[in-house]
Amino acid sequence: MTAEALDQENRAGERKWRRRSLWSLILLVPLALAVESYDSVKALVGNNDLFPRRVVWGESAQFGGSDWKLTDLRGAFGMSNLPPDSVPVLADFQVKVGNPDLQKLWLGCKIMLIDKDGRRWSPTSIISLKTPDNVGNCISAIFSGAKSGDTVNLRETFLVPKEATKSIRPAVSVASERPHFLLFHLEKD
Amino acid sequence: MNMRKSANLVLLLVAAVFCYGLQISKPHYGELIGPIPARGKLGDTVVGRAFEVHAEKVEFARKLTVDQFGQQRVLTTGGVWAVVTVEIAARSESTTIGVASWRGPTGLTYDQTERLSFMNGLLPVAIDPGLPRKARLIFEVRPDEASDATLLVSEKLVAALDSQAEIALGPVAVAADGLPAGTVDMLDMAQPL
Repeated sequence: MTAEALDQENRAGERKWRRRSLWSLILLVPLALAVESYDSVKALVGNNDLFPRRVVWGESAQFGGSDWKLTDLRGAFGMSNLPPDSVPVLADFQVKVGNPDLQKLWLGCKIMLIDKDGRRWSPTSIISLKTPDNVGNCISAIFSGAKSGDTVNLRETFLVPKEATKSIRPAVSVASERPHFLLFHLEKD
Repeated sequence: MNMRKSANLVLLLVAAVFCYGLQISKPHYGELIGPIPARGKLGDTVVGRAFEVHAEKVEFARKLTVDQFGQQRVLTTGGVWAVVTVEIAARSESTTIGVASWRGPTGLTYDQTERLSFMNGLLPVAIDPGLPRKARLIFEVRPDEASDATLLVSEKLVAALDSQAEIALGPVAVAADGLPAGTVDMLDMAQPL
């Protein structure tokens, strides 16, 4: 083989590889973007309550290692000193503790009310009603030292506008299950 | 050859001017990731991402009276007290309004006073969707920062990439004593909103 022919062959090979490299960018650039943003997307999804897991009235659902059941949702009418057209709403849950590592599994525990338009209410601090001794809330339950098989009673109080009371449904979310959350249906559903 | 040299020089100059233009017109990093303004004026309902706020009125006073543990206390100031009555509501989700500041016409910015921290109805206030709530935002400002001020309201101190309401409070005339016109001697903060 002459030096000239060898040179030509090399040049053809170079061109081929240059073209291959260019084409591979189409794959590599999106892939690099995906790898870079993976952690951010994971954090974003893990911080939001996106996908409801529906629970029929009267039934319990496994969530964050325990069995959650909605026992009551009712309005507390006839209170004074409230903002106009608002109603206090009490949501009661009975939770049978399965995995007792609540400090890990129930971290970021959030009980909320969601209406038909997707508006979300968090528990209120404006009103505080007296609760029985054996009833706590989500956060106090985490530190109650409940053991596997124990039943804990939870109650949260909300302040909701009157027009929303017809369509509100209680929901529960914990960090260990996000982006999934429990959405409880009522008896009338 | 000379022709070509001068053409190159012109091209270089144009490139330099273009790069300089890019440099000075480019938004600062702080602006790119800063709060997103939702603008309005006194009396408007300013709608942000998570909350809406409506500034009802601005009052100026030389002194404030407050109730502390059943005792009346009078708070004086070297400047002037500015009290903005606002109505705030959450939009889609319960949240908290934590920060308000008063930005004067020269850009001096005053945070909400902490001298009344024991009082009810000050920030932070929790707000719920559909339940507008009134609050008083209280600032201690220099009298010459009272006119054409802007009220800034946001959920958190670092409102990066989130709404910040910017409410133009409009011009305020200056009285003979240097204080804003209509400044009262005493405002009672124990009055219900």
